[in-house]
Amino acid sequence: MEHREGAASAHNPIQIDPNTCIRCTLCDWVCPGDIIYKEEGDRETLPVVAFPDECWYCGHCESVCPTNAITIVFPDEILHNATDVVTLLGKVDPADAPAAEG
Amino acid sequence: MNDDVIRLETDVAVVGGGVAGCMAAIPALEAGLEVVICDKGKLLERSGSVGGGVDHYLTIMETGPEWDTPEFLLKHIPDLTDGIVDMEVTDRVVREMPRVLRKLEALGVDFKDPRTGTYDRHRSFGLPGAYHINFDGTRFKHHIGQRVRRGKATVLARTMGVQVLVEDGRAYGVLAFDIRSGAWYYVRARAVVLSTGDVNRLSMNASGLAFDSWHCPYNTGDAQAMGYRAGATLANMEFTETTLTPKGFSTQGLNALVSLGAYFLNRQGERFMFRYDPKGENARRAVLADGVIKEYLEGNGPIYLDCRHLPADVLDHMEETLQIDRHTLPAFYRQKGIDFRTDPVEVSISELSIRRSGLYFRGSGIAVDANAESSVRGLFSAGDSATVSGGIAGAATLGHIAGESIVQYVNEGRTLPDVDPGELERLMGEASVHLRQPGGPSWQAFEDRIRHTVTDYAGVRRSGPGLRRALDTLRSLRREGAALGAAHSHGLMRVHEARNIRLNAELLAEAALERQETRTGSAHWRIDYPETDDAHWRSFVLVDRTAEGPGVTTLSAQMPLATAFPRRQPGKGG
Repeated sequence: MEHREGAASAHNPIQIDPNTCIRCTLCDWVCPGDIIYKEEGDRETLPVVAFPDECWYCGHCESVCPTNAITIVFPDEILHNATDVVTLLGKVDPADAPAAEG
Repeated sequence: MNDDVIRLETDVAVVGGGVAGCMAAIPALEAGLEVVICDKGKLLERSGSVGGGVDHYLTIMETGPEWDTPEFLLKHIPDLTDGIVDMEVTDRVVREMPRVLRKLEALGVDFKDPRTGTYDRHRSFGLPGAYHINFDGTRFKHHIGQRVRRGKATVLARTMGVQVLVEDGRAYGVLAFDIRSGAWYYVRARAVVLSTGDVNRLSMNASGLAFDSWHCPYNTGDAQAMGYRAGATLANMEFTETTLTPKGFSTQGLNALVSLGAYFLNRQGERFMFRYDPKGENARRAVLADGVIKEYLEGNGPIYLDCRHLPADVLDHMEETLQIDRHTLPAFYRQKGIDFRTDPVEVSISELSIRRSGLYFRGSGIAVDANAESSVRGLFSAGDSATVSGGIAGAATLGHIAGESIVQYVNEGRTLPDVDPGELERLMGEASVHLRQPGGPSWQAFEDRIRHTVTDYAGVRRSGPGLRRALDTLRSLRREGAALGAAHSHGLMRVHEARNIRLNAELLAEAALERQETRTGSAHWRIDYPETDDAHWRSFVLVDRTAEGPGVTTLSAQMPLATAFPRRQPGKGG
């Protein structure tokens, strides 16, 4: 795809049903991240999710779609998350703290 | 290259078409000034953090009771901000709030509850009165954006500002590019407003996905970076903000369940929040986040949010209102296959943002005076990119103040300096260099290194040695930033965002190293200075661009930040 850059994404968060999409461009217009590209004035082409890795999962596109053709699908990293939250809390060396008294 | 630039001349150039930028444009348009407004989004009616809607608005209304007066709220603000707040600017913002509320109503915003015809006001966020109006703000931004469009502003959609042009200490224009067509704009303007919101994509979250963030991930501190490069003073950059999220999805919406009665449980099933605050789950939001952070650090994770004890009508209400905070939240729970009515929800902290450390009226970013003007004459800022910020109401009010100040400033009738074509060409060449090196390193990998560095050494726990380590990495990344590659205009936007995030992260680490105390919990927690030190640190930390890089100074928080501006210095004028 022309707009892709870097490694291919394994996950498309914005799934567009070609049978119900009326090719109207609204999803492209409301996307705050410039991720969805729809050729204007062309009633044939579907919107293209050009930068799936840059999706905020805000659902603006899903909420404005006049025919409910868009479904937001979450990836495994979000749904079945295995990260240890402690890894988000810093690696500051406890020895940097003032020595305990006594 | 100069031939490719679209040149516009105007009275006011606004970078960032959210609530603050639009509210700055409106008084200028009303006074007959010309306005050019650019935003990375397509529709001004949807641009900014509340483009999708908003459901509460903080304001004084002067309805009679003492708490509803500016004086009462102002009296409490030093305590609400842990003593670090610019009271001169806050005073003006709070006093202007009722007038700006009326103005928004005149624009078509309906703050009243349609069922009762009255304002549904609530006491929340630890404020000392029922200052929040709960309302259906689905079309809030629509009305504001419409007004700007009807006022015949020139709207540059999908356009990113990259550089403020300054001569003799005055801003006189903006360089910007269209993120789809690649067209460059040189907007020559008598005044410039920077209002692009907070700084995100700054640190790691549970999912590891850069754009999975609590706040808008397309807010990347563009204003703060542009202001800094233009010579404007920044302040409060050391304070960061985090929130609690369902683990895996960095979203708003968990606090709503907490405020309706959900409990936090740790691994042992203990309802632990009372150990951190006598109010338990009713404590300030920052206290809740701190409590969860401490439980995780002490090995008591995973932490869960538990709704099982709540009556059915409360659970029904929770379920019906889930999508208010984030449209996709019901789909998240559904696809995850958990029901918060019967299953405890595992909780994480979100990534950090540089915003206003969870407090109203203490903003982080471009230091402004009571006219919303920065240390650079003719350069204004409002919203989450400015040092006084208070949610949507703060953005609307300070934005409006900026607009009215600009009318005065522009009417002083100064002539614009001539453009130096060589300088313009040099700036454009630098800003677009990434397109000429498409094989350069990716902005994604560059940003990941920033996020790991901030998380590990400038995040919710900090120390002097850790912050110096973070600075080493962030400074070395500066050189790599210039080498990044972009294959198209959209990629060029991401590269500039990544470079702006890096700069903001560096300023965060510099300011955090300077502040040798802990203040506002995990907003700035130094393990080597674990106490709040009012005797020495009831002060602002200011950051300025110098020939040697960021220069850090301090100023007593008893003084307005503008005390440090050149125009307030005797003999310097400006």
